[in-house]
Amino acid sequence: MEWSIGDDEKRYFSEIQINDNIVELSSLLSNQEIIPLPEMSLVKGSKPNSILINISGESRLAHVIKVQDSWWIHLDGRIHIVNRHEFGSAAITRTEGSLIAPMPGTIIEILVKDGQRVRQGQTLIVMEAMKMEHKIQAPMPGKISSLTHKVGQRVDMGTVLIEINE
Amino acid sequence: MFPKWMKNAPNSFSSVLIANRGEIAVRIIQAAREAGIKSIAIFSDSDINSLHVEMADDTIHLEGKSLSETYLNIDAIVLAAKLSNAEAIHPGYGFLSERADFAKSVSEAGLIWIGPSPESIDIMGDKISARKKMIDSGVPIIPGEELIIMNNGDYMEPLASAAARVGYPLLLKASAGGGGKGMRSVHEPKLLKNQYEAASREASAAFGDGTVYVERLLNKSRHIEIQIMCDQHGNSIHLNERDCSLQRRHQKVIEESPCVVLSQELRELMGQSAIKAAESVDYVGVGTIEFLLTQNNEFFFLEMNTRLQVEHPITELITGIDIVQKQFEIAAGLELNLKQEDISINGHAIEARIYAENPSKGFLPAIGKLSRWEIQARPGVRLDSGFREGDEITVDFDPMLAKLIVHSSSRESAIRKLNIALSEFIVLGVSTNIGFLRDIINHEIFIEGRITTDFLDKAPDELFNETKTAPSHLVAIAAAAEKLGLDKLNYDGSVGQFDDYSGHPSDPFGTLSRNFP
Repeated sequence: MEWSIGDDEKRYFSEIQINDNIVELSSLLSNQEIIPLPEMSLVKGSKPNSILINISGESRLAHVIKVQDSWWIHLDGRIHIVNRHEFGSAAITRTEGSLIAPMPGTIIEILVKDGQRVRQGQTLIVMEAMKMEHKIQAPMPGKISSLTHKVGQRVDMGTVLIEINE
Repeated sequence: MFPKWMKNAPNSFSSVLIANRGEIAVRIIQAAREAGIKSIAIFSDSDINSLHVEMADDTIHLEGKSLSETYLNIDAIVLAAKLSNAEAIHPGYGFLSERADFAKSVSEAGLIWIGPSPESIDIMGDKISARKKMIDSGVPIIPGEELIIMNNGDYMEPLASAAARVGYPLLLKASAGGGGKGMRSVHEPKLLKNQYEAASREASAAFGDGTVYVERLLNKSRHIEIQIMCDQHGNSIHLNERDCSLQRRHQKVIEESPCVVLSQELRELMGQSAIKAAESVDYVGVGTIEFLLTQNNEFFFLEMNTRLQVEHPITELITGIDIVQKQFEIAAGLELNLKQEDISINGHAIEARIYAENPSKGFLPAIGKLSRWEIQARPGVRLDSGFREGDEITVDFDPMLAKLIVHSSSRESAIRKLNIALSEFIVLGVSTNIGFLRDIINHEIFIEGRITTDFLDKAPDELFNETKTAPSHLVAIAAAAEKLGLDKLNYDGSVGQFDDYSGHPSDPFGTLSRNFP
């Protein structure tokens, strides 16, 4: 199975074996390199949506739930998200330089024009969501293209707001 | 039927409409139930399945999509109270809680308003008149002034001269506002114009009034507020302080009581100032006077919140007083049966606000479904929330999911308790700041009690990096969960667990024969 952790694009390939409902990771690869594994076994916890993980003789309870293709994992008081990928699928890429709406909201200000040159860190668009303002800033210097939205427009999460070239 | 405790009250009531939603509506419904008062919830379309609606004794729907048609609609809410035979209205916090016209409409409709008079709200709600009152009553204030913009719309001239008079660094804030909205700090003149525009715009969006107030920014100070309580018979007391210095962009994140650096002498001084401030407007009800406390123990009046405060639980825990119940008693016209010398401090309480947000992505608000929402019960832990498992978090409302409040004998043990309670709080499906909160309370500056209001905005980036867990552990868990088919389980976990005998998921009578000595 192929995985990535959180927003990190690094991929992991796992092979597992299962005996008497005890799961063991038999190998883990990333970038063609073998990741050394501690002694580790996993079983279903007595509570639903829980997994008992035993690492080098020490047992910990993880709470898990699958949301779309991602496993949300609560382990040692922290939350982690592990994404499942179809074998060989490309990393989630968007066109270099396109800025997407980080969440659904309303565009309340557009500070640049089509064709304008911008410097890194310059604020391009101001959005409002959950009663707070969020600035969309240029991740690199370049020239603005495909400015298709208007002030007052509502946008969904993931909508391409603006593109920067060069 | 009035509850028994109200039998000698001049303005007794037996039902209350809660003009709010979310956790505070839930809190007030719970208090009403304990007080023996019928609770009536209002709700908009997007709240049809919300917890406060489910919990209330009666509910009434408000037509419309926007906030101004629903939770901010005075006429509709007063009408709802009439239709549901409510005798009193509790405004909660936010929304209409500090609107004098709402207080007035409620009273004019013959209903009991659980809050101060419209006049008190008006004076304290306007920074200019509040400052004037404070000067008259000898309560210290921060240098500052309201920006007066001429009809020609030129704001640069008055802005620049006001800024020059007040001095840098300065703070621009919404004259009408609170809660950190429409607030910007300016450290040098060249940033003044941009920050003013942003502050004014946020102020217009949040409060319908873009007027901005310019004031000196006092560095390395603490936000200390005093909870006060005044009855209709002229009795006023304070319930000690809350230290709310831990803020991010002027939004409170963690609050605690008592404040570690406040001596009993200073506490009494600030308490008396707070009572003076409240009495200057003939205040009735519960309220909070916010002060800035500088490093050399000077304090300045910031503003008065003429309503119940989000962080009221920590005061309840250290004083043992149910503040919402007191609001009911005061509104019913009962005398405060407490004297200042009855108010003590028992141990230490801390509140952490749990937000649906993504600390690693610049604190962007997060949305999603609370697929898992479970907290371990343990002594001294309280969770105030308007959400439950399965609820959908949308962009329609504020991103505060819950307040986790702990109470213990000492500050040190309260911090430990909060750390454990946060780590055992299982929230899956929506990103939260829980890990970030744990990083803060484990930070040496927090542990040493040296937090000032600028801490989070200046905190080093390492604070925002959550502890790394080995990828192999995480992948192993995900792979095992996949292999063991945990994604195919019914959410309630009932698959294969039906009791053969009763046919119910676990026989409800199965435990009757067992002893629990």
